[in-house]
Amino acid sequence: MALDANTVISAASALGAGIAMIAGIGSGIGQGYAAGKATEAVARQPEAQGDITRTMLLGQAVAESTGIYALVIALVLVFANPFLG
Amino acid sequence: MGQGPQELFQLFGIPVTDTVVVSWAIMLVLWIFAIFASKNIEMVPSGAQNAAELFLEAILDLIEGMMPNEGKRFLPLIATIALFIGMANLVGIIPTVPNPTADLNTTLGIALIVFVATHYYGIEKKGVGTYLKEFIEPSIALLPLNIIGELAKPISLAFRLFGNMAGGGVILGIIAMFVPWVIPVPLMAWFDVFVGVIQAFIFTMLAIAYISVARG
Repeated sequence: MALDANTVISAASALGAGIAMIAGIGSGIGQGYAAGKATEAVARQPEAQGDITRTMLLGQAVAESTGIYALVIALVLVFANPFLG
Repeated sequence: MGQGPQELFQLFGIPVTDTVVVSWAIMLVLWIFAIFASKNIEMVPSGAQNAAELFLEAILDLIEGMMPNEGKRFLPLIATIALFIGMANLVGIIPTVPNPTADLNTTLGIALIVFVATHYYGIEKKGVGTYLKEFIEPSIALLPLNIIGELAKPISLAFRLFGNMAGGGVILGIIAMFVPWVIPVPLMAWFDVFVGVIQAFIFTMLAIAYISVARG
């Protein structure tokens, strides 16, 4: 198989998509930490469960952003590659 | 898998995608439901009116929690966004119907509405001078950072919803390639119902939070 430019770009893009998703580690740790702290808070103050859950979800949504950006970059690299000629 | 929105037909030379058609269908369903629920309003609600009141009061409580005594004012905007996104996320559970929110055009459109509303309500409450002055606080050196911070809000809002719904669709597509039967069904329930409801809630909450922050 001839190694033309598009083959190399496709291979590199697939690798890049995989590497981009490493960012998922950060948002995963962040969301887990928030959930753990929320559990502690609910254990301490069960009557404030509604407020705590709401705040936790809001914080997790913001923490998720970086992971979602990585996902979007990975999706672009796989499905709508801008580098392919 | 992952083809994105498909062009169905042209209307006066403007291409109409399946996203738009599904959005119209959702609007029609919501409109009919609203007419049905508000046809004869009673003091003791029942049926459709009960469901509508339950939903609206939940949204009203969310807004009142962040902006006391101003809930009624923002209810139309926020509840419309919540209803539309909720329906758009849930509609994906019907096979072959695409999620309108798995298209960046939809999510970015709604995020831009929130963006414009945020700044409009902020300026209306504080006045132009005070509002613009907040961009050079605590020092003028932070002006570019503050502007980028404001511009990042609608982008992160749009990409969060889009990434969640499109990502779920891609994962479902990959699973369906390997195991076309049985296994995708609970996953579909997870990605469309659970993630969809959570994301609609988060979008609503963030919209309220942005408006309440802009109003101080």
